[in-house]
Amino acid sequence: MNRVLWLLLSAMLMLPAAYAGQKELTLLNVSYDPTRELYEEVNAAFIQDWAAKTGQAIKINQSHGGSGKQARSVIDGLEADVVTLALAYDIDALHEKANLIPKGWQQRLPDNSAPYTSTIVFVVRKGNPRHIQDWDDLVQPGLSVITPNPKTSGGARWNYLAAWAYGLEMFGGDEARVREFLTKIFKNVPVLDSGARGSTTTFVQRGIGDVLISWENEAFLIRKEFGDDYEIVVPSLSILAEPPVTVVDKVVDRRGTRQVAEAYLNFLYTPQGQEIAARNFYRPRLESVAAKYKSQFTDVKLITIDDVFGGWQKAQQTHFADGGVFDQIFVR
Amino acid sequence: MKGIQQIIRRAALIGGLLAAGTHQAAAQAPQPSLEQLDQKVRILERKLEIQEEEAARKKLENPALTAGKDGFALTSADKAFQLKLRGYVQADGRFFLSDDDEKATDSFLLRRVRPIWEGKLYNDFDFRIMPDFGNGSTVLQDAYLGYTASPAAKLRAGKFKPPFGLERLQSGTDTLFIERAHPTSLGPNRDVGLQLGGDVMGSTVNYAVGVFNGVTDGGSGDGDSNDGKDVVGRVFVTPFKNSDIAALSGLSLGLAASAGDQQGTTTVPGLPAFRSIGQQSFYTYKTSTNAADAVIADGSRVRVSPQAVYYYRAFGLLAEYAQSSQDVTKGARSDTLDNDALLVELSYVLTGEEATYKGVTPAHPFDPKGGTWGAFEVALRYSELNVDDDAFPTYADAKKSAKGTQTVGVGLNWYLNRNLKAQVNVDNSTFDGGAADGDRDDEQALFTRLQISF
Repeated sequence: MNRVLWLLLSAMLMLPAAYAGQKELTLLNVSYDPTRELYEEVNAAFIQDWAAKTGQAIKINQSHGGSGKQARSVIDGLEADVVTLALAYDIDALHEKANLIPKGWQQRLPDNSAPYTSTIVFVVRKGNPRHIQDWDDLVQPGLSVITPNPKTSGGARWNYLAAWAYGLEMFGGDEARVREFLTKIFKNVPVLDSGARGSTTTFVQRGIGDVLISWENEAFLIRKEFGDDYEIVVPSLSILAEPPVTVVDKVVDRRGTRQVAEAYLNFLYTPQGQEIAARNFYRPRLESVAAKYKSQFTDVKLITIDDVFGGWQKAQQTHFADGGVFDQIFVR
Repeated sequence: MKGIQQIIRRAALIGGLLAAGTHQAAAQAPQPSLEQLDQKVRILERKLEIQEEEAARKKLENPALTAGKDGFALTSADKAFQLKLRGYVQADGRFFLSDDDEKATDSFLLRRVRPIWEGKLYNDFDFRIMPDFGNGSTVLQDAYLGYTASPAAKLRAGKFKPPFGLERLQSGTDTLFIERAHPTSLGPNRDVGLQLGGDVMGSTVNYAVGVFNGVTDGGSGDGDSNDGKDVVGRVFVTPFKNSDIAALSGLSLGLAASAGDQQGTTTVPGLPAFRSIGQQSFYTYKTSTNAADAVIADGSRVRVSPQAVYYYRAFGLLAEYAQSSQDVTKGARSDTLDNDALLVELSYVLTGEEATYKGVTPAHPFDPKGGTWGAFEVALRYSELNVDDDAFPTYADAKKSAKGTQTVGVGLNWYLNRNLKAQVNVDNSTFDGGAADGDRDDEQALFTRLQISF
């Protein structure tokens, strides 16, 4: 009887090894609003690359929305294997509010875990009828400025902070005057969308507004899709936007997808991944690719969040927390 | 067609606005241009559109009735109130090998049948009610309410597991083996009392301390038969929880202790009986209705239990030692009896999922059509329980009660998905004494379990 029992147990132990890992792996990339096209291309290339290296088929699902909203969804249980959000503050929340990732997540990948960068530019209608050249042109009376809601959109926070940085330079650091400057800009904002793609819809498809404050990559996409109906204006000063990426440790360890999720993010740093980023109008980190696409991006003076605002935590607390500066200047 | 309707609607709106402008005196110059009016209408339309999107989103935030792998729940929109219906059923098979004289009965049984109602009120108050209809009887296992002042300070009052045994504190759905090992026999099961606990130091330290009626080793109670109370406390440290050292983040060390005075009677002696892994009684104190012959608890009872777990990827280790020192009396004689028990168990998830204290979540749930079979885990354990030599012959009969038992067990766990689990265990137990002619016969138990939990 005992021998039969042990044989039965041994057979049962062998079964799982034989059948493990036969099903197609899936990854979920939870990203911010304007990265749809970028990750469609990245995903297709990575799926091929992974299959070539491992022989394993994978499927990558994408989710897009306002960066802050996306972070909240992951905290609330959306099973993201990786997040590729608009700013580090939103990813920090995954550690602080749900301990889904370790505190030092941003040091795990090169360049503060931001494989590509972008900046903030203006999109105006053909011929630039309101003669918008720089941030101070946005305060002119009667102008209609389109930007999303900084409470929900990562892109909108970059927009706001770029304008603030310009104000600081223009007014020699006089914060009261900078606040007045921002108040005037936001007085010209008729609609607050929840995400950057929503603002593009407002400006392009609904025909509202004279100028759209936009991610550089989104601006190029508008040009690509709608041609000469729109023009890109690069202000004299903007902000270095570093959209970071990370695996969501608790999820990948639970789902057994850590290896492929890490490979997916590392792929973004490869020459192929950097090429794709550049083709989708993100500024690549890899020097050889950056040199190749140099003519695509206008040189502009870029300030950083750390230098001017003391990092995201401080910027968030000062400007975007409930009762912060944004709540004070944007009163409807 | 929709576009045409929109243009007509917009033209009508602009017309209306223009007409309104005409009716107003020319003194109210400058009048808005057609282009400006068009923009205003577009902005209004867009705002309406955004409002509709927002309304659709908020609709999703209305009180939500959810059903899924985590059970069934009714949650208020702000998530401050929640009622959850959960539960689990365990259908076991118990077979004793080499049991020719059939001292133990082979049987199928419903080991646990436990519906669970739990929820929260005003965010910070919570409750749980869990009866058990298993084993052909009805027992109220858990019934408590709690208040979370902060993660570091959570109050709980009612009937629940006192913070003592490592394996006991693990949910009955998550234990590595079908029946818990011997250290569990030396700690409280469920008791009525009040507890303060929480997580401190970045959640690396979990503590709990409480006052309870006091139950016998391995026992549960709904009330008390004496004025003595037990103080029970436990500190459980996960020192590398927040570090980047993945190989150490799953290491936890703990120490639990309880102390109290308990006074038994001839009808309620206040002393435990010990069961083998196969749930067969192998040790009892002598009983008698005659006060001079009855063995009863009579004074201090002190328990201590160092404990540790370590999980790294698919590997798991759980170790626990428990000692219970109990003052006992029989007639004019009194002693302090020190019983102790040990458990070391190892596990490995063959399919690569993460081993945890809360079981295994299969990466690929059971789906034969898709060629996936869930997660498989193998387990090995050693456990022993030793009764104080001084218990014999005054307080226990060596021909009926064993002085100790040692168990070696192997197990296979099959996690079909998050809700379904199948287990098979083989445990071989040996005994020191306990029979008229020396040692009690070895016990070879083959236990199986099918479990559904939600």
